Amino acid sequence: MSKQTKMGILGLLLVLPSFLVLFVIVVLPIALSFKESLTNASGGYDLSNYIYLFTNKLMRSNIIFTLEVTIISVLLILAISYALAVYMRFNNGAVVQWIRRLYMIPMFIPGVIATYGLIQLLGNHGWAARILYQFGIESFPRIIFDMKGIIIANLWFNIPFTTMLLGSALSAVPNSVIESAKDVGAGTIQIFFKFILPLTYKTLLVGATFAFMGVIGSFTAPFLLGPNAPQMLGVSMEQVFGVFQQKQLAAALAFFTFLLCSIMGFFYIREMIKDEGVKA
Amino acid sequence: MDIQLSIQKLTKRYKTGDGVSDISLDVQKGELITLLGPSGCGKTTVLRSIGGFLEPDSGDILIENKSVLKAPPEKRPTAMVFQSYNLWPHMTVFDNLAFGLKIRKMKKSEIDQAISEVLKLIRLSGSEQKFPGQLSGGQQQRVAVARALLLKPAVLLLDEPFSALDAKLRHEMREELREIQSNTGLTMVFVTHDQEEALSISDRIVVMNKGHIEQVASPQEIYDEPKTLFAAQFIGKMNFLKGVVTNGRVMIAQLAFPNSKNLSGNVTLAIRPEDVQLFDGEEAGLPGTIKHIMVLGHYAEVSIDLQGHGIIRSFRPRDQVNDLRTGQHVKVNFAKTLVFPTV
Ligand SMILES: Nc1ncnc2c1ncn2[C@@H]1O[C@H](COP(=O)(O)OP(=O)(O)O)[C@@H](O)[C@H]1O
Ligand SMILES: [Mg+2]
Repeated sequence: MSKQTKMGILGLLLVLPSFLVLFVIVVLPIALSFKESLTNASGGYDLSNYIYLFTNKLMRSNIIFTLEVTIISVLLILAISYALAVYMRFNNGAVVQWIRRLYMIPMFIPGVIATYGLIQLLGNHGWAARILYQFGIESFPRIIFDMKGIIIANLWFNIPFTTMLLGSALSAVPNSVIESAKDVGAGTIQIFFKFILPLTYKTLLVGATFAFMGVIGSFTAPFLLGPNAPQMLGVSMEQVFGVFQQKQLAAALAFFTFLLCSIMGFFYIREMIKDEGVKA
Repeated sequence: MDIQLSIQKLTKRYKTGDGVSDISLDVQKGELITLLGPSGCGKTTVLRSIGGFLEPDSGDILIENKSVLKAPPEKRPTAMVFQSYNLWPHMTVFDNLAFGLKIRKMKKSEIDQAISEVLKLIRLSGSEQKFPGQLSGGQQQRVAVARALLLKPAVLLLDEPFSALDAKLRHEMREELREIQSNTGLTMVFVTHDQEEALSISDRIVVMNKGHIEQVASPQEIYDEPKTLFAAQFIGKMNFLKGVVTNGRVMIAQLAFPNSKNLSGNVTLAIRPEDVQLFDGEEAGLPGTIKHIMVLGHYAEVSIDLQGHGIIRSFRPRDQVNDLRTGQHVKVNFAKTLVFPTV
């Protein structure tokens, strides 16, 4: 055996374990649920489950609701996290110190507890409503058991990590880049749009991908504080599977969610590759 | 001569207590002046104050006779070249160069013209569409200098722009900068901690130490007549010997040296290695033993143990060391000595 072949075999052996793990816990389940999702009531294979997904009124409203919640949540998460991260990068003082200390806290509170906390705070007769009542404001908007509740929970769960991610991208932008921009005459707005944003948009995209996947697949918060109908796909999946015992339909839902995530992943990877091309 | 830049009693203290104090300096139009000093002595602090990136605690900075203290960096007639990460990595060389000109609302044809000229000047024609990551460190710094030149600043500020480059390249860049300077007649303030660099490119050198100025003079003067002990030891190679003033004369052992500053008590003599002369025989001089002879190309470095007065180094032309050998007893005398109070 030549040295090259030996090295080749060694290389294969080295990647084999991780490939196997990937295969068993990712590829296989996806393939299996895809097969499951194509199984119809009489045991044959067709697209009936998918047709049902997109024609049934309730299912359709679930899908639209999920996309709405996801898109609004992701946009808000990015906007707030980016603002926080930019603020922390370019300011210092007491306020920044406090944000730095506080913004990670949500990461250390278990999801169920945080969700109950939000219900306590924002529910119909929760803390916020009672405090406002003291000031004579008697009508409190419906937040819990509504889209707003889920979005607020998503913000709570996702802002810390996204802020951390963006913060590290921003601190990788050297001061001299920004100072030299100032030096040639750029104002604050130009510095933001022509320098800071272009130098961090890749991480923004990473953040968007993570937030998107996290939100679209979320279960705890939508289950505990979402409306009964329409539902997020995760909750709907659980019902279809657990309550209605429609395994095939649940599989179709799961596969559809996977496709949505893949689309996001596709854009992410395409951007990454495009940029590599420019640099190389 | 016109004074292009005037720094007046500039003081800047950081919260830590470090900084610079009472810096006053006038820079002539078309002059290349160097701030030289060890790391942490406050060079960057002065330069950033001129550029507007730091607000001084007190003092004033005038450019072309107008105070610029109130103006932010983008409004000052200065341009700065930083030590590293000067270029914007997401923009091509062309865009890096054009950005400032676009802000100044220059016409597209004029921008193209100016950029192709400046690229020729820095010998990078044809690199317009490259990204900074595709250039070497030296090329990047040249583009950074070019970008600053395009702004036609009243004063160009350079903060150790070549310190990240290797020695050979650093040499080339110095020459190139010097050439650009004489072609453009630009006023430049150049910061470095490298005394050789300072000696080779400057019209004048400002020697700084611990936040204040030790001496401002031409390279020759700084080399020949350092005003302070610090300047003497920081610039060029120097020997130091302890002496004492008796009857108005500086004495080492039985030998007397001129006391040009009329000092008294304990003093330190500073002697350039090239001024250390060796004799054998009966001439007057300090007795010593040759410890070491190192031939360094066209000259040789001879170390002599002065028997209780320390070790002294002498630079001799190579043909003069042929008949010297280690262990030989010699007499040492000095063509020139400088005297400083011992601190
Ligand atoms: N932002 C800052 N905060 C506190 N101390 C600083 C700051 N910048 C510089 N210093 C201190 O001020 C002194 C002068 O720094 P600097 O001007 O950068 O020196 P140099 O450029 O000569 O190396 C150093 O002791 C340095 O540690
Ligand atoms: Mg410095």
